[in-house]
Amino acid sequence: MPADIAAAQAAARQPAAPRRRRLGDAAWPLGIGLGSLLLWEALCRGLGVRPILLPPPSAILFAMVSRYSLLFDNLWPSLYMTVLAFLLSVAGGIFFAILITYSKIVRKGFYPIIVVSQVIPKISIAPLFIVWFGTGATSSLLLAFLISFFPMTINAAIGFQTVDEEVVKMARSFTGSRWQIFCKIRLPNAMPHLFGGMKISITLAIIGVIVSEFVASQRGIGYLIKLSGGLLDTPLMMAAITELSLAGLVLYGLIAWAERLVIYWQPASHVEAAGGG
Amino acid sequence: MAARLNEPIVAVSPRPEAHVAVRSARKSYGDVEAIREVSLALAEGEFLSVLGPSGCGKSTLLMMIAGLVEASGGDIAVAGTPVRGPRREIGMVFQSPVLLPWRTVLDNVLLPIEMLKLSRRVYEPRARELLAMAKIDDFASRLPRELSGGMRQRAAICRALIHDPSLLLMDEPFSALDAITRDEMGLELLRIWQLYRKSVLFVTHSIREAAFLSDRVLVMGRRPATIVAETKIALPRPRRIDMMESEGFNAHVRELRRAIEASHAG
Repeated sequence: MPADIAAAQAAARQPAAPRRRRLGDAAWPLGIGLGSLLLWEALCRGLGVRPILLPPPSAILFAMVSRYSLLFDNLWPSLYMTVLAFLLSVAGGIFFAILITYSKIVRKGFYPIIVVSQVIPKISIAPLFIVWFGTGATSSLLLAFLISFFPMTINAAIGFQTVDEEVVKMARSFTGSRWQIFCKIRLPNAMPHLFGGMKISITLAIIGVIVSEFVASQRGIGYLIKLSGGLLDTPLMMAAITELSLAGLVLYGLIAWAERLVIYWQPASHVEAAGGG
Repeated sequence: MAARLNEPIVAVSPRPEAHVAVRSARKSYGDVEAIREVSLALAEGEFLSVLGPSGCGKSTLLMMIAGLVEASGGDIAVAGTPVRGPRREIGMVFQSPVLLPWRTVLDNVLLPIEMLKLSRRVYEPRARELLAMAKIDDFASRLPRELSGGMRQRAAICRALIHDPSLLLMDEPFSALDAITRDEMGLELLRIWQLYRKSVLFVTHSIREAAFLSDRVLVMGRRPATIVAETKIALPRPRRIDMMESEGFNAHVRELRRAIEASHAG
């Protein structure tokens, strides 16, 4: 048996053991986070800070529990809009990225315009949308879509185009067609970029929905944050912010989890590095 | 098995019905001349090497025969029909293994079958047989990143053979490997070649590799990019690693080196 095969067999037999280290990695930020909360609680109580200015974590937790139904009634519409806008921008972004990859007219004509249009702070368009589409769901959805669409498109386009030329040559040498090369090579090859785009897209979709609810809406978590601000109900406001953050974390975590499943061929560290982009 | 391996393969000199026939092929990119004019004939079952310094256009020549790069002039025919694009009877091995990282070794080997829309079920036993022949059948369900460089290139050779092509085009396939693995892979390739009796066109910049593997070596010069010398390797088959120390082998290496140096001086 050749030496290289023997070595690879030996290496393959070694079990992968990053589990314990991952737990250790989590212990640090968890500990520091928990410590900060305790310090916050202690300072609020010790210095007698008024809850309207800064409620202690316990008051926020109390608001989250006692006003559970108010919070959740307002969370669902926001989440629904966020997920809808996210799905639209993923589908639209991938579709547009395919056009950029395969159509010269789109790549040379439309793509630069879209890139330049990104200098417009999209949030500033929110009032305009209200003028055009009213204060309903359409405005929310459009704003969230507009914000989250672009990073998805860019990431997907980069993903489809950063294919090793040698790989394409190899596929062509085995009589692979353009469609086969897309399905069997470009698409799986783009997966790390697609997930990187999705991670940015989901956080931006949340921002889009919340901003549109700030500007004009009668429900939603953004509306609740603004409303509780007006009522000087700071514990409720911070409970809403906490709940929104947790929801965002869950959405992001779902994508990261799906990423691990889909991109099974990369070691975990690579996946995380790709997600950062 | 042993008897079959010891059976000598006679170096056939090119005849009119050559497997690959290149007549006055040229290639230029704008004003840049990549290949001045090359003619060659590869006989059925022959192992022919094109030897030359990097950048002499030998890879371009191979790509033109594979139908991946269009010639600017001249005729290229494989099995009597002019080359218009990639075709089924060719199997290619590249400088790097270019395995798809998300596919297992077995699925990588079966990729050409999918591209050719043939039945995976029919070809899977053949894929396993090829992997066994290349001594990597234990790794059939592993991902490429779990394999060493030499093993990946073995898998790439299996992939090139899966659809039973009659012609194997190899573009410096072992140049990314270390010297020891490289010699080992050369022997492996010869073993496979004698087992399956393919015609092989092998591009390399290693003089020793060309002399050790081939029936015939064509030397390609850089300026002009054309064939400057041809040598028939008079070593018996099967080749053994100790032949690399023989006087006959060294004489061939010297001759080839002189041909390359002469083309540089010109």
